[in-house]
Amino acid sequence: MNRIFSVLSLVVLAMLTTGGNVLAALTVEEFEIEGLISPASPKALSEALEKRLQVKVVDLNLKNSSTGWPLLSVEFDSDQLTRNDIEQAIASIEDPAGHTYRVHQGPAVVSAPLTDEEKAAIALFGSAPPNIQVLTNPIESTSESVARGKELYDNYCSTCHGLQGGGNGPAAHGISTFPGQLWVWNNADSSEDGYLFWFITEGGSDMPPWGVILSENERWDVINYVKTLTKPE
Amino acid sequence: MVERIKPPRMRLPRRIKKDDVFKVKVRFEHPSFTGLGMVDTETMPAFNRAVPVTFIRNMLVYYGEELVTRFNMTSAIADSPLFTFKLKAVKEEPITVAFINNKGERWEVSTDVKFTT
Repeated sequence: MNRIFSVLSLVVLAMLTTGGNVLAALTVEEFEIEGLISPASPKALSEALEKRLQVKVVDLNLKNSSTGWPLLSVEFDSDQLTRNDIEQAIASIEDPAGHTYRVHQGPAVVSAPLTDEEKAAIALFGSAPPNIQVLTNPIESTSESVARGKELYDNYCSTCHGLQGGGNGPAAHGISTFPGQLWVWNNADSSEDGYLFWFITEGGSDMPPWGVILSENERWDVINYVKTLTKPE
Repeated sequence: MVERIKPPRMRLPRRIKKDDVFKVKVRFEHPSFTGLGMVDTETMPAFNRAVPVTFIRNMLVYYGEELVTRFNMTSAIADSPLFTFKLKAVKEEPITVAFINNKGERWEVSTDVKFTT
């Protein structure tokens, strides 16, 4: 009898210490979050959500989600709360920058197809923004490729962009647009390769079209090197 | 960041004589955002999607029936931009400015040009 009593009391004690969650149905769901725009946002959202509802923020994946949207994993008791409750709570939390968050629904409309009116205007006044192809860098970013890229960069690019990529080369003073600070491309994702290759090939504003001087492989070497430039201290 | 979109407004000089070159000012309260935010300061640069990308993509200007100019924009455009451009007063017809954003939504504002003597 004593043994049964002690087992029962242990169960009750365990329920009390875990807040009655022993029999609760804990689920983890993921929410794509809109509105995380500053370094203070992730912490503010997690803390405010845990304060408002009986939930636990398990993870906030900022960079590696498949859709690109920050992914918030929340553990909650599905007997007491629904996904909708959490979405509403997230929508009522204010970011330090002064706007509210939102759970992202559906794919983002990045650019709707051109309207007939726009097409007519393009036909009359010239082309729309360039159609930049998605390209894959055929040259692996090895130390040899980076060394080749550095030699080309020092010869052709550094006069304007500077040896460190700070946009402050000796010739930068003589041109009307400030050359780009190339260290922003440090470790850039491979999805940016198409843009970089297009810009180097075609040039822009005061930058000449290097496609007429550098071969394709040389341009890819330069891209591999540019991605290794770091922000000067 | 502006969250509300208001109809565009246009302003013309009070006095326009025939063959004058006059200024047209158009203001459109529309948000502009690249959609990117920098929330991780440990690595540079570390952008993630923050809000859906929003910007005014095209501005088309009609003088009467004729399309006289086109402004083509990117997400680098400011929030609620003010556009100023010049036209030559050749006819007494309305000036219509149409805006189309990256989601394909369209807004329009129109004002009549009347010559003063």
